Amino acid sequence: MRPWIGAAAVALAASGCGSDGGSTGPSRVLAIVGGDNQSAKVNQQLPLPLSVSVMEGGAPVTGAIVNWSVFAGSGTVTPTSTTGSDGIASVSYTVGDVPRTERVQAAVAGANGLQVFTATALPIGSFTVLGGGNNVSDRFSSDLAFHGSYGYTGTWGLRGLNHGDAIKLWHLDAGGAPNLVRSVPVEDIETVSDVAVSPDGSLLVITAEGGEGSRPGLLVYSLADPADPVLVGRHEVAVPGLHTGTVASVNGRTYAFTARSPGAVDPALQIYDLSTPQSPAVVAVVPVPPVYGIHDTFVRDGLVFAFVWNTGVQIYDVGNGMAGGSITNPVLVGAVTTAGTGVPSGGPSAHNGWWFHNPNTGEKRYLFVGQEGPVEFGVSSSGNIHVVDVSDLAHPQEVAFFHLEGAGSHNFWMDEANEILYAAFYNGGVVALDVSGTLQGDLAARQVARLEPAGADTFVWGVQLHQGTLYAIDMLSGLWQLGPSGF
Amino acid sequence: MSYRPRAVGCLQLLPLLAASAAPLSHLIAQHARGVLGGQTVVAGTVTDPIPGMGSRAEVRLLHPVLFSGWSAAGRWLTLRGTFNLEGWVVPGGELTLGAWGEGFIDRRHPHTYVHELLAVAEVGTHTHGRRALSLAVGKGFAPFGTDDPMMRPIFKYPVNHHLSQILERAIVVLAARTGPVAIEAGLFNGDEPDRPGQWPAIRRFADSWSIRSTLSPWPGFEAQVSRASVASPEHRPGAGLRQTKWSASTRWVRDGRTAHGYALAEWARTSEAEDQFVFTSVLAEGAIRLRQHQAYARFERTERPEEPRTGDLFRSMRPHLENSILGTTRWTIYSAGYRITFASPVRGLALGPFVEGSHGTASERGTGFFDIEGLYGRSTFWSLSAGIRLSWGTLGHRMGRYGAAVVTDDARSH
Repeated sequence: MRPWIGAAAVALAASGCGSDGGSTGPSRVLAIVGGDNQSAKVNQQLPLPLSVSVMEGGAPVTGAIVNWSVFAGSGTVTPTSTTGSDGIASVSYTVGDVPRTERVQAAVAGANGLQVFTATALPIGSFTVLGGGNNVSDRFSSDLAFHGSYGYTGTWGLRGLNHGDAIKLWHLDAGGAPNLVRSVPVEDIETVSDVAVSPDGSLLVITAEGGEGSRPGLLVYSLADPADPVLVGRHEVAVPGLHTGTVASVNGRTYAFTARSPGAVDPALQIYDLSTPQSPAVVAVVPVPPVYGIHDTFVRDGLVFAFVWNTGVQIYDVGNGMAGGSITNPVLVGAVTTAGTGVPSGGPSAHNGWWFHNPNTGEKRYLFVGQEGPVEFGVSSSGNIHVVDVSDLAHPQEVAFFHLEGAGSHNFWMDEANEILYAAFYNGGVVALDVSGTLQGDLAARQVARLEPAGADTFVWGVQLHQGTLYAIDMLSGLWQLGPSGF
Repeated sequence: MSYRPRAVGCLQLLPLLAASAAPLSHLIAQHARGVLGGQTVVAGTVTDPIPGMGSRAEVRLLHPVLFSGWSAAGRWLTLRGTFNLEGWVVPGGELTLGAWGEGFIDRRHPHTYVHELLAVAEVGTHTHGRRALSLAVGKGFAPFGTDDPMMRPIFKYPVNHHLSQILERAIVVLAARTGPVAIEAGLFNGDEPDRPGQWPAIRRFADSWSIRSTLSPWPGFEAQVSRASVASPEHRPGAGLRQTKWSASTRWVRDGRTAHGYALAEWARTSEAEDQFVFTSVLAEGAIRLRQHQAYARFERTERPEEPRTGDLFRSMRPHLENSILGTTRWTIYSAGYRITFASPVRGLALGPFVEGSHGTASERGTGFFDIEGLYGRSTFWSLSAGIRLSWGTLGHRMGRYGAAVVTDDARSH
């Protein structure tokens, strides 16, 4: 028989074989006809079914059994469905409980290859942009702080030919939207590394960094007129300066708890007494190991939580009384080395944190620790949120973590009354986590909202709740006002 | 207590010491070999643009190096010292657009005063081809990549210096050779120097390693592949990322009575943080010398990390505060030059006037914060240098290979 006659005979036979009939030849063609690239909130069903067609010899196959399975994600799908007379089989799909990209595959006997559907499980809530954004383009932005209807944001590094030597002054309108008033220049520094307002609102305190020839350190501004911060005090520190500063009251006096010289050979927790703002006085210096030293602090109830990179978290009594410590004589209460997992090549990289006081339960159980892994600004970041149980402050223990694929955590803020942790995640934008109840293991399912406010150009440094709305400072695009909803 | 009797005693020993030393010095004179040499370059460079835009012209005394060495009879023991005075003459580095490392950007950093200081013990035989085993201990180059650019024909350093060489470390290098094949393995400290007067952090010795295999099938030709794992090179206390480095190259040198040829082709890759940061380089360079006239050229395409710069736009923040960069840039540079070498009226002093030009482009790889045009004003650049190289005595070795790893017909490329 000539080859073409044989091929024609096979094609003719195939065209007549319109039902499944147990045919397992490789001549079937499986194709997606609907339902790909949909999204639904966690644990919800996709709006449209997932549908495939099975064809053989150009004709639909009736009664073919299509096998469905989930190979990425935790959603649920009916394992099999059968094609109708149109050769189409469909199933409904319910996405899993973790916000993420999920994949479902369809297979049929007698066909070469599989078909893969992509679905997105969305957080249960969302953020909406209420105001701001795309409002700082001359410099990279750093930290943020607010007082009344004014905001203050720092500037960082070198953008074009502009160093981070300015404070941006913002006025919040009646709806809370930020409007840039002006830049306040800061002489002889290269980065405003942190911005804080004293608890009584009288002082704006910034920490500054810089290289050789600069004068980094602590700068104190009077906020007698919050629209016009006036520099009243300055304490210079050797290059590279101070990385962060937390302003807090301990036993009725106001102090700045600063992270001195993270990368240098002599990093330390350096505490300033701000009782006389004109001459901030160093009242304690607590050396820490020089492996990227200390990056940030959190102060509450007379305790300082120092985030000491690969050394982990150190807890000091500076007036709490539990260990006899004082401002001038901080006493180490406890320490924990958080897990190195979460960043490429490992390493705790403990960067920042928040001690959660739950007003609903009275618990003071959890410390959230931000891990800052390697960052290529504008491209990638890494690092988890590690949750440490500090019920026993002398023996803290890590109990849970949160990982956001493709991004790393930076600064936090908490809505304690609503038990929501807001975290900046650089290129991952802003993340809201439900931190109610007991926290254990992987907290992926606790993500309730996420937003990249500037789209693909997002690189969020920090967040802060102020007067009921959430503000996010993006290094590239400036200050945003966000509205959480649905949680 | 009086010290006089003891001093007198020591003085009384001197004739004895002198007597015992006399045969030794005689032996050295007969069989050992010492070398001494030096070089420097007086050059002017114009580069346009520079960080901050505009152009800059500089005249500097550059590459001042003293070479010293001593080999015992049969080369079973070699002592080597190479001293680099850049820390004195160019503490702010050498204007070299694209160069980076050790806290400098677009200026090549000065090397440490003690560039090499090591002892090499070697045993071997030349029957049935050369077989040798050596151990090098001291401060010097880890067995990785290609030769130090200072010993190559092109005056300006390539961008890939920190991708293709690992230098100024406390090293222990074991090398073995059988015929055309040499294998080297080295242990060293990962930290690179922060300043010219700094010694390697001995406490970090052996936190890093490298291995290099070299095939030299024909006289003058060699091919090498090497790999290294370098712990926290840019943060001396040790919190930085570990680098995984690869290098492959071929090198050819032909020395004739009146003609000399040289060619090098290399590829290098350095990655950090499980490939979150990756920097690659390809480079090809060559030179030909007829009598005293030498022409040379180089092509290079190398990626470099962009680090936050300080108020001095040629410097980056050191030490690092954390493991972050502002992006990655790719530098494509074409260079060519001409040098004429002749003896000076001063005995033993050779002079080598030269002129060299480069043209290149820089581009951003990816979406990092770093903005080339925002810093330089444009993405193309050129550089022109002219000067004179002065050399005296016996010039240095290839810098990077010791003991059994040295091919007997090794030659520098100048």
